[in-house]
Amino acid sequence: MVNRPPVRLNNLDSLPLSRRELLLGAGGLVLAGTLAGCGSSGSSPSSSAASTGTPKPGGNFRLGVTGGGSKDIMDGQTIITKPDQARLVAGWETLLVYDSQYKLPSAGGTQTGLAEEVTQDAPDQWTIKLRPGITFHNGKPLTADDVIYSLNRILDPEVGLFGGAGLASIDPKQMQKLDTLTVRLKLKGPDSTIADQLGQYYNGIVPDGYTRTGPLKWVGTGPYTVVSFKPGAQSVHKKNPDYWRTGQPYFDQVTITDFADPTAQVNALLAGQIDAMTDIPFAQIEVAKQHGGLSVLESQGGGWLPLCMAIDLKPFDDVRVRQAMRLIVDRNAMLEQVLSGHGHIANDLYSPFDPAYDTSLPQRTQDIEQAKSLLKSAGQEGLTFDLHTTDGAAGMVDSANVFAQQAKAAGVTVNVHNDPNYYGDQYLKLPFSVDFWGTRNFLPQVANGSIPTAPYNECHWPPKDSNYLSLYSQALAEIDQGKRADIIHEMQKLEYDEGGYIIPFFNNLVDSYSSKVQGFNVNRGTLNLDSFGHGYRTIWFG
Amino acid sequence: MATEPSGSASEPVDVTVPGGPGPTGAAPGWRRALHVGGIPGFIVRRMLLGVLVLAAVSVVVFLATQALGDPARAILGRTATPTSLHALRKQLNLDQPVLTQYWHWVTGLLHGDAGTSLSANVPVTDYLRDRVVNSAFLVLLSGGISIPLAIAIGSYAALQRDRTFDVVTSIVTLAFAALPEFVVGLILVVVFSTTVFDVLPAIAAPGVRPWNDLKGMILPTATLVIAVTPYVVRIMRASMIEVLESDYVEMARLKGLPERQVLIRHALPNALGPTFQVIAINLAYLAGGVIVVEYLFNYQGIGGAMRDAVSTSDLPLVQALAMLIAALYVVLNLLADIATILVTPRLRTRL
Repeated sequence: MVNRPPVRLNNLDSLPLSRRELLLGAGGLVLAGTLAGCGSSGSSPSSSAASTGTPKPGGNFRLGVTGGGSKDIMDGQTIITKPDQARLVAGWETLLVYDSQYKLPSAGGTQTGLAEEVTQDAPDQWTIKLRPGITFHNGKPLTADDVIYSLNRILDPEVGLFGGAGLASIDPKQMQKLDTLTVRLKLKGPDSTIADQLGQYYNGIVPDGYTRTGPLKWVGTGPYTVVSFKPGAQSVHKKNPDYWRTGQPYFDQVTITDFADPTAQVNALLAGQIDAMTDIPFAQIEVAKQHGGLSVLESQGGGWLPLCMAIDLKPFDDVRVRQAMRLIVDRNAMLEQVLSGHGHIANDLYSPFDPAYDTSLPQRTQDIEQAKSLLKSAGQEGLTFDLHTTDGAAGMVDSANVFAQQAKAAGVTVNVHNDPNYYGDQYLKLPFSVDFWGTRNFLPQVANGSIPTAPYNECHWPPKDSNYLSLYSQALAEIDQGKRADIIHEMQKLEYDEGGYIIPFFNNLVDSYSSKVQGFNVNRGTLNLDSFGHGYRTIWFG
Repeated sequence: MATEPSGSASEPVDVTVPGGPGPTGAAPGWRRALHVGGIPGFIVRRMLLGVLVLAAVSVVVFLATQALGDPARAILGRTATPTSLHALRKQLNLDQPVLTQYWHWVTGLLHGDAGTSLSANVPVTDYLRDRVVNSAFLVLLSGGISIPLAIAIGSYAALQRDRTFDVVTSIVTLAFAALPEFVVGLILVVVFSTTVFDVLPAIAAPGVRPWNDLKGMILPTATLVIAVTPYVVRIMRASMIEVLESDYVEMARLKGLPERQVLIRHALPNALGPTFQVIAINLAYLAGGVIVVEYLFNYQGIGGAMRDAVSTSDLPLVQALAMLIAALYVVLNLLADIATILVTPRLRTRL
């Protein structure tokens, strides 16, 4: 929050010379910096192919997205594939918006999303005040009813949306419409993370009565309306003429195409058939850089591929074994082998962008001797066990294989099982497995993966005798940010010392685009291409 | 050898003429009806056999797809719980006996209903319609170019046996046959779209039907033509050489027929028989979806759909595609056999 610029945030995107340009050159490639700075400003520009000039309207922006298939959906509140992400942000928006440093404007400050203000009135009460004058694509004004409907849909277990776990403290029966633009949320218990959740891109605001296939299926408030959508192939989006942010968006049309194969994607970009692509293969980065007309956008991501040790299953129920496993990892080597160095080494803790991320904990490094002696004292020398993985996300299988290789040095034999039916059959029941996560702030992540009620608690954390859960309740109830950070540090220390996660690195997002596209900036976050050019509204053809 | 000009082509025909002039007298009426002579009778028998083959294939496909894994789990993925699994299995009729499931599926197929795609949640026929048409277009285009081209090159190489054209053709076709499609495709893209020249699109235009994007079809078609032509050229050359050495060609020449007439009337038809079989196999292979080419050019065909369907355990989609591809093999082989019969007098008269 300290770095927040003295400008109204809702004008930030349209200011020709904002802080973003001083900090981040468009097309600049972030050098993989030291990891320890995750909590501070971690991205620094290495080149400044500046995106100067005034935005120009017009054109058809053609984006190629990796992945997708018959499973593709178009929904304002959930995604299945990566192209779904690219489509969601064109049509739907959230109440709050993270800035380029993955921070929300501080409480009481002017917000940049659909909400003008989101305040925590009491530990268990939040008030949302909507921005006036916003309309949906069908002309209906955005009101409190739509917010209540949207939150109810997220919380409805029948719909089964991902956002439900993070917002579970909201009492759906006690959402109150104070006036047309104001909603009061009563919580089942104290929760200071509601604002964080409302800023997640998948918690979009949909009109009252929205369903994925009903008459309102493509209606949102976003900068583009959907013209056509074919799963596994392509979607076409048209400029929303009534969009509420003045002057935006710039393109007349956005066309999003699925690519099963990244080589075809690169070729299409090189041949000028698309204007931008997500996830350029590391081997092709040099090709793109040498090609005059292309730029590479490398953003520091907070996504992680943990190796998860279930702390209540043998042999990982012994904390010494878990510590030994964490000391076996040569993080730099793993980052190099799995991601060709496009990431930052991690310290077995998640949520690197959280202002409360504890950077004072010493960076864990490989120490084979120490690992061996820990195993010896645990009576587990020459340990042999299975590590389960699957092709759920790029790097999951490689990470497992590299770990197995590195473990040999400590006399540990790891048998890697790559199982396509891993999710569903054995997931969350295994002693040792690989998983994947995007990034979110610490407490929301805990709600999703580190407490017994979390839907994806791979490590079966925390230990029974630990005070972790009471610390978690305290943190949720604490409104003061400084005090909350102290509690979070205690929780992180517990996970750092005894946790079941091995988190070797955070991956970068590496995308490429035609140099005629202006306005892309290096951005911290979960979504590719500067959050898809903030929903294709902060980029334009130069 | 020289007296058996169509030896290899006669094999599939022999297999399917049941009994020939054997003890047909003891056969029941319907079997006698099947022994109607001539080409129409042959076609009818062949089609009936095709139906039998497809019925057998349907059993194999159905059983094989059971091994793909539990579709309910595949759909739910990370969100699978015992309750949701149970509910979904019920909804998908997965809780019924395998035989019942099979019967539902086959009767549905016969009514043109291939079920609903589990992942896309639309009827399989709707999901596949455009992709099938796209694949068919690509096959027809590549087949239409490569077949006449290969027949011409193969025949000419045979006539020029051991001379420069023949030697060069041999080397080139061998080299191309050894190259996987994706290598050929990548080289074409690098040369014509991205690195050397920038004259052709690198991928098929997204969202445009292929016949409206002929420029974008050039490289995918060229890739497939290069992939298929060498095989056909080599078989054509071999059988043409065989025919040219035969007694009847020598006879025709001795009778003083013009060389042109010898080649077109007498040599070519007899040499085409074996070639048709190879063409049929190659076309069926193309129609089955050349997944590598589809990926390379981001072409919306059935190969990509098949891969997608398998990876998401989309049973109805996998089954429909497998049946479609099997049917194509049957039909193309039937057509090849008929064509072989029609161009080969010796076989025609045996029916």
